[in-house]
Amino acid sequence: MALSPPPPHEAPRRPSSLDIALVVWPSFLAACVASLLFFATVDPELLRDAGPRLLAGLDREAGYALGFLFFWAIGALASTLSVYLIRTDRPQKRGAGRGAS
Amino acid sequence: MTPPRLRVVPVAESGAFYAAAEKIYPREISGRFSRMRQGAVIALLGLFYGMPWLDWQGHQALLFDLPARKFHIFSLTLWPQDFLYLALLLIIAALSLFFFTALAGRLWCGYACPQTVWTELFVWIEQWTEGTRSRRMKLDRGPWTVEKVLRKSLKQLLWIALAAWTGFTFVGYFTPIRTLGAAITGLSLGPWSTFWVFLYGLATYGNAGFLREQVCKYMCPYARFQSAMFDKDTLIISYDEARGEPRGPRRRGTDARTAGLGDCIDCTLCVQVCPTGIDIRKGLQYECIACGECIDACDDVMDKMGSPRGLIRYTTEHALHGKATRVLRPRVLVYSALLLLAGGVLLYSLFTRMPLILDVIRDRNALYREVRGDRVENIFALKVINLDDRPHSYLLSAEGMQGLELIAPVAPIVVAAGSVSNIPARLDAPTSRAAGVHHIALSLTAVDAPGIHVHEKTRFIGPTP
Repeated sequence: MALSPPPPHEAPRRPSSLDIALVVWPSFLAACVASLLFFATVDPELLRDAGPRLLAGLDREAGYALGFLFFWAIGALASTLSVYLIRTDRPQKRGAGRGAS
Repeated sequence: MTPPRLRVVPVAESGAFYAAAEKIYPREISGRFSRMRQGAVIALLGLFYGMPWLDWQGHQALLFDLPARKFHIFSLTLWPQDFLYLALLLIIAALSLFFFTALAGRLWCGYACPQTVWTELFVWIEQWTEGTRSRRMKLDRGPWTVEKVLRKSLKQLLWIALAAWTGFTFVGYFTPIRTLGAAITGLSLGPWSTFWVFLYGLATYGNAGFLREQVCKYMCPYARFQSAMFDKDTLIISYDEARGEPRGPRRRGTDARTAGLGDCIDCTLCVQVCPTGIDIRKGLQYECIACGECIDACDDVMDKMGSPRGLIRYTTEHALHGKATRVLRPRVLVYSALLLLAGGVLLYSLFTRMPLILDVIRDRNALYREVRGDRVENIFALKVINLDDRPHSYLLSAEGMQGLELIAPVAPIVVAAGSVSNIPARLDAPTSRAAGVHHIALSLTAVDAPGIHVHEKTRFIGPTP
């Protein structure tokens, strides 16, 4: 089954600064909470000692920062998917069931 | 029925979901509420910038020492094991936000939010370098003259310096600030500290210098859900439509009523002073951060026109409709009850906090061994953590089984303040009584303070019966 090209008004658009903010900001907040909860219970040095050789030589400060960036990246991935799914949804779909206006 | 006078206006009435933000030039204003706000800015930022420099009994009074995984709060030292307090503190913070929002609206936004507070500071710098609202607008419209370059550069320089100092102070809460300062002046700052100083500095510069009200409008989750805590008795800033309308300009001394006008002279000062650029006369809007600048502006105008103050004022929806405002209502009572409960639990657990932890791990190599012909010995690894801010010696004792004897350590275990001591412990019991698994308990009591006492359960294992 061939997909018809999207009508012009739904044409893919470049991400706006709002899109970027919607990705970066909520994932930043989530990364703060995740780091707080995670590192309150897990000592980065224990992770280093149990983890791959790649991590050897890192101190706690590096562990906190890398952990935070890791949580931020994962959160940003989730936010990117959310924004992408919302932006590529057909607009009329959301109105369905509530009656067209 | 009186028609509702408060309308909530959606993001953009034009239907556009996101309109390119127009730069807002908040007009300077003085009055009761701006003075209160200035007071809050000075107090809160003074606390933020000053606190890391305060010393207490030989260490930084407030230090979240992440490299050492210890939090120092004056005499109190919290360990990762004390996570409960942090969780309780966060719950209390959230409940306080709910409580104050229900009672007095967006107090947090107007006076205490870091976004508001730092924006205020950045706007002060802007006003000092670029002048009043009208001068700033003229400067931005005008060509790049030498004066414009100088003024803009000075502003940027001050902003960047302030942002950098803010980043430095922020990191100073996590690394001793004097060491940090010495590392910076000695150009020996570690990569991660540099990263955090830059990240926080950049965030301050971007949020308070450029984004400003857009943070509140587009980024703040609280701005979106705060209305859930609102009811008709919540303190809001509102324009008195019944008194103000129909609005219109008039000559001073004109009697408004005979001219068929309300008290609003449509001078738009309330719009010009607004840091989020809204028109409070359109009703309650979620962009309103309840800073009270429009009240100050309008009161000034009302004074000049000889009309009573309060055309824009702190009021409640009930009061606007001529009904009585109730302060104590179920919502407020529930929030305060929860707040008291969480606060009580926190205080109780802080005051009854045992500054000693004993971890008992059975020896992994052998379940038991026979000693002296007729006895069975078990070995344990003890981890004694002294959470107190002074050293203690502790005596170990064991119980829970007939004939159980503590072989070592019998001498007091000395542990320095805030330290961990790992020691092996040996227990034995007569072979005739030791068969099978026995539940026993190890107790540790401080010699100098019998109140410091912990009890830890473990097992004593003998030969299979």
